Amino acid sequence: MSSLQHPSTLNELQRYRQVSSILRTTSRGRNKAWFQEALDLDAQVHLRSDGVSIVSQFYSRRTNEWLEGPSVSSNVLTNPEGAANFADQLIQLAKQHRANALGVLLYIADEFAIAELKTEFDNPSLLTELRQRAETNPSEILEGASTFSDSQSFRILPYPAGGETIATAIALSRQDAAFLDTLRLAGEEYNFPIITHALSAPLIALMAVPSAARPTADKPFLTILYYSSFTVMGFFNEHGDLRLLRTIQHRGQRKPLNLTGIATTTLAALEFADPDILVLPLTRHADPTIIVELQSKFPKSRIDTVDWTKTPYNHPNIPAHCPELLIATKEADSSTTSFSVTFETFANEKWAAQNFLPPIPEIAQIYPTKSEVKLLRITHIARAALIIISLLAVTWALMDTWKKMSQPAWAFQPTQASNVQKKSASLASERLQIEHWDNLLEDRSKAWASMELLSRLIPENSGLLVKAFNQTTRPETAVGKSKASFIKEWRITGFAREEARDKLNHISSREGINALFNEVAQHTGNDAFRSDIGNRSILVTVRQQQNSTFKADNEATPSDGNSYPLTFELQIIQRFEANDPLALTTSKAP
Amino acid sequence: MYYRQSILFFGLVLPGVLAALLVGGAFYAHQTIDTKYNTKNTQYISYKKNEQNVAALEKELSSKREHAARWKSLFSEETKSQINNHIRNLQEALPSKEFQQTSTDSPITTAGFGSASAQRSAQIRLGFRGTYRALQRAFLELETRMPQLQMQELKIDTGINQSNLNNVEVSYTAWEN
Repeated sequence: MSSLQHPSTLNELQRYRQVSSILRTTSRGRNKAWFQEALDLDAQVHLRSDGVSIVSQFYSRRTNEWLEGPSVSSNVLTNPEGAANFADQLIQLAKQHRANALGVLLYIADEFAIAELKTEFDNPSLLTELRQRAETNPSEILEGASTFSDSQSFRILPYPAGGETIATAIALSRQDAAFLDTLRLAGEEYNFPIITHALSAPLIALMAVPSAARPTADKPFLTILYYSSFTVMGFFNEHGDLRLLRTIQHRGQRKPLNLTGIATTTLAALEFADPDILVLPLTRHADPTIIVELQSKFPKSRIDTVDWTKTPYNHPNIPAHCPELLIATKEADSSTTSFSVTFETFANEKWAAQNFLPPIPEIAQIYPTKSEVKLLRITHIARAALIIISLLAVTWALMDTWKKMSQPAWAFQPTQASNVQKKSASLASERLQIEHWDNLLEDRSKAWASMELLSRLIPENSGLLVKAFNQTTRPETAVGKSKASFIKEWRITGFAREEARDKLNHISSREGINALFNEVAQHTGNDAFRSDIGNRSILVTVRQQQNSTFKADNEATPSDGNSYPLTFELQIIQRFEANDPLALTTSKAP
Repeated sequence: MYYRQSILFFGLVLPGVLAALLVGGAFYAHQTIDTKYNTKNTQYISYKKNEQNVAALEKELSSKREHAARWKSLFSEETKSQINNHIRNLQEALPSKEFQQTSTDSPITTAGFGSASAQRSAQIRLGFRGTYRALQRAFLELETRMPQLQMQELKIDTGINQSNLNNVEVSYTAWEN
């Protein structure tokens, strides 16, 4: 801790390094007890000092058990060395109980003073502001500012029922602050949370009035909190609301001097007639004569002394005159909160349980707040996530890059492509040339194949005699087209006998001519005669006439045309379209 | 609340900026390499495709080169002299009674297939007299040895009542280089 500095003296980077160091070297990031109230912790040590003795009790909040606390001498509060040893005892005790933190509650029962609020602040809407200013700058809001010193701690206590005065201020000395600082410092050094809370014993005791003293309903009452060195008088109206708090210092006497006189004048001022007078003995040596004096002075009033052993604030391990320990640790029940606005407000807003000796702000501010620790932890997680994500992203990028760089494509040189492209272009050109010549040399029109057609069309002794055979093949002009269609035409004239009529008719049919052409294609291997390629069409016409030179008495020889009664003319036209495989390439060789 | 601002800056903003710079730099470098790789890969794929095409083309052409070379040698000779040589051989091989050449003509004008193609060609007109089978054999021999001949006209007069010899006239377009 000695190396830690107040953050206002550091720059931003130093602040970050300091807070990171605190989170790293202390348990503040892991132990939420650092940011809890002492009364909220499971392990608590309660110390009650009334100037005569110190009562010490250990309280386990989880099991609701009260045990004897560490032994404490009367001078431990003022002796720094004794305080340090006591702190060690506390830590050992907490660890024995396997606690992760310890709350130390100091009930100040040896002093109680009241200061009045300046009249200009008698405005209920300012209560929140006044509560804060009483801690930081009390001289601005309280009467008699010139008599205040830094050795006093002030806390506002409101009068919720209203009236001329909205609140009063309770003043306690800071004489025990060093003791509590020592305990907290020991906690810091041991990295073990010791959370301290200094309570005003009378304010805590006041919260027990509804359930312990049981005031008469709809009647004003006066409470007398009877401590060893002072007495606190609380004046409540018929609604149970606190109207005024007064204190009487005993000044070395066993009992308050002029108690009845002060009570009489104050009750008269408040116009309370015959109130209940409830005495709460909070010292081991209460003087019983005080009751007699009150009875004689207020004969019409109900005067009761609270017997703590017959109240809910009784425990065998706790002295009867120290009920504050039980009051503070017990949650205010409905009998208290519903008793009056005062008690409801005191319980809900914790006016009675205010900490009179908190850590000095300059020291407390060295450490990060709970929200800052939470924020720092979140940023640590976020930073870890960022690092992981960044590493993953970079790793992925590196791996993907490595994967790509190990591909053959990465080592590829464009010059290799140009060599292959040149070779490809050369081969493509060669192929074009070959295809060009291949096309030109196709067997689209051959004399020997046409003669084979003729011999199969009109075989010997078939009743037909050929006189002339004429074939022409003519391409069709194809301007601007890569391929040219062409037409093959056969014209055959000759003689025919009657029995050959059927053959001629058969040839002139589509089936007949296709069959003949396919037969020629099969025997010659010439695809020009195939009818199943491309979109080829074949047209056949046959004309037959009487043979004018026919001589019926001639001997019938096959080669004599005059012996045939008929003449015929057969025309076959075959068309090859431009998309036919045999269509002619019109271009020059590349 | 003295630490909130420094925690936010050094704990969140600064690491965020550094991470963004690191990741951004890595992604920028990756993107640059990726772009370069894509370009190279496209070229490489194209190269491999071309290489495959070249291999396929080479395989395809290797079987045709022999024919192409033969065609080239055919086209390099004059058509008319080639035909004369082949006919002379045919006349030696076939009996003269069965096969006789009656005419030879080389028209200058382009006709037939030659008129439909820009490829250089020559016109040949031939006349023969012979038996049907001898003539067909002669044409088979001639057209097989000279595949550049594209027949565009064939006339056969069977000579009925005179003899068994046929008069044939044939005209070709002969492709030339």
